[in-house]
Amino acid sequence: MDKLFNNFLRVSPEASDVLVLVFGLLIFFSTTFFIWSKVKPEANMKELIDRTNSWWKIIIILVVALFVNKAITMIALAFLSFVALREMLSRFELDATNRRLMFWCYLSIPIQYYAAYIAYYRFFIVWIPVALFIILPTRRLIAGHVKDALRSVAIIQWALMLTVFSLSHIAYLLSLDLPDDFTAGNECLILYLIFLTQFNDVLQFIWGKTLGRHKIIPAVSPNKTWEGFLGGLVSTVAMAYYLRFLTPFTDTQALAAGGLIAFFGFLGDLNISAIKRDLNIKDMGNAIAGHGGFMDRLDSLSFTGMVFFHVVHIWMVPPA
Amino acid sequence: MKPFLRLIIGVSFSDNEPFRQHKQFLVLGNHNSHLDTMSILASLPWSRIGEVHPVAAGDYFGKNPVLSFFTRTFVNVLLINRNKDPSMPQKPLEVMDQYLKEGRSLLIFPEGSRGEPEKLQEFKAGAAILLSKNPSIPFIPVFMSGMGKVLPKGDGLVVPQECSIQIGSPVFTTGSVDEITQTIQQTIVELQEGDSP
Repeated sequence: MDKLFNNFLRVSPEASDVLVLVFGLLIFFSTTFFIWSKVKPEANMKELIDRTNSWWKIIIILVVALFVNKAITMIALAFLSFVALREMLSRFELDATNRRLMFWCYLSIPIQYYAAYIAYYRFFIVWIPVALFIILPTRRLIAGHVKDALRSVAIIQWALMLTVFSLSHIAYLLSLDLPDDFTAGNECLILYLIFLTQFNDVLQFIWGKTLGRHKIIPAVSPNKTWEGFLGGLVSTVAMAYYLRFLTPFTDTQALAAGGLIAFFGFLGDLNISAIKRDLNIKDMGNAIAGHGGFMDRLDSLSFTGMVFFHVVHIWMVPPA
Repeated sequence: MKPFLRLIIGVSFSDNEPFRQHKQFLVLGNHNSHLDTMSILASLPWSRIGEVHPVAAGDYFGKNPVLSFFTRTFVNVLLINRNKDPSMPQKPLEVMDQYLKEGRSLLIFPEGSRGEPEKLQEFKAGAAILLSKNPSIPFIPVFMSGMGKVLPKGDGLVVPQECSIQIGSPVFTTGSVDEITQTIQQTIVELQEGDSP
């Protein structure tokens, strides 16, 4: 397996250990669901099977995108931002006066990711929160549209933050100048982040299903329970500690990173749930079979990505 | 074309099986955007692409030679004359009817011009007249939503947004022109209702 990875993709030994684990889990779940649906055909397994099949695709695309080279990873993430942004802008009822604003948003994506690619941090960190923050309302002013000005600009800016600004932080992880004794490769940080975020989602779900009694915020999401949240938190912290060889972290830092990912993943998830509840829709889209739209899968990551990036940045990169 | 529409613009295509069932047909759809024509042509199976001619207004697409050449060559357009121009030798319906007699298929937007996004306009009778003259040719209803947001009338800027194309099953019709117009409108509205959750 190691040899196969190394011939086609530049995977460090640290990363291939985790990939073996991930594919192991996938094979395990696929086989279990397959046998289960044969043994008990009456059980409705379609959503779970769809979900697992989509996981296969997501993970294979992720592995290819992550380990070929840095440019490919950047382009893949930029494209992901693009489809997620397109999905969000399509969901909110924005009228035709916003078309030019949306066009600016799409244009901002390559610029933001190029800044991440060349590691131009000063620009990267102000382009969307400052420059686009000014450009978008200005574009509306020029056109002279007043009606729904606040609503439109607020929604568009916010969609941009969630889908482009936040996800581009994951891309920037590749450009960070990390200590020399860290040899696993920067892409392992992305692997660590994404794996733990999704692991946390799944474990919160499993703990919640099995032990969940006390609801946290029933008004936003009736499925979120204290048992699920805490179970997910403990599992994720343990997994973060176990996988710390993917990172330049000390033991304590790995524990803290796990806790942060679990907590902010939970918040990101609830955040998107609240929007869906507000719009009265179940999913943000139907792009991924069994999962819903892109933002249904990226919900947690839209928060954990930024938090994780800044944690690494603060801990590992000395101020210039 | 199809991957571009799917990945960049965000068009979701329904199964194009209805286009495979018969050799000849009329494609009838609602019309909000130039993207409509592109999406329908992109939905066609390879074997049908050369056979289907979108019917378009000569006074719009024929007004300059470059546009006219482009649409004729790449989109296979059949230009008709909307204004009653005495210099044109044939009436539009006769030209279209002749195309059908030659075994080719047509794509017609019974609403005529592109309307306001997401609103159906009154259907015109042209397509129904053709169908009543050629009862052996079925029509395939197509409903597209969201295209008018991507590329609306009077604006040249393409702004990707999610949109979809629903292809209905082929329908054979008989009866008066009014009845056929009714049937066409009804099948397209049914697709629309099936499309919205």
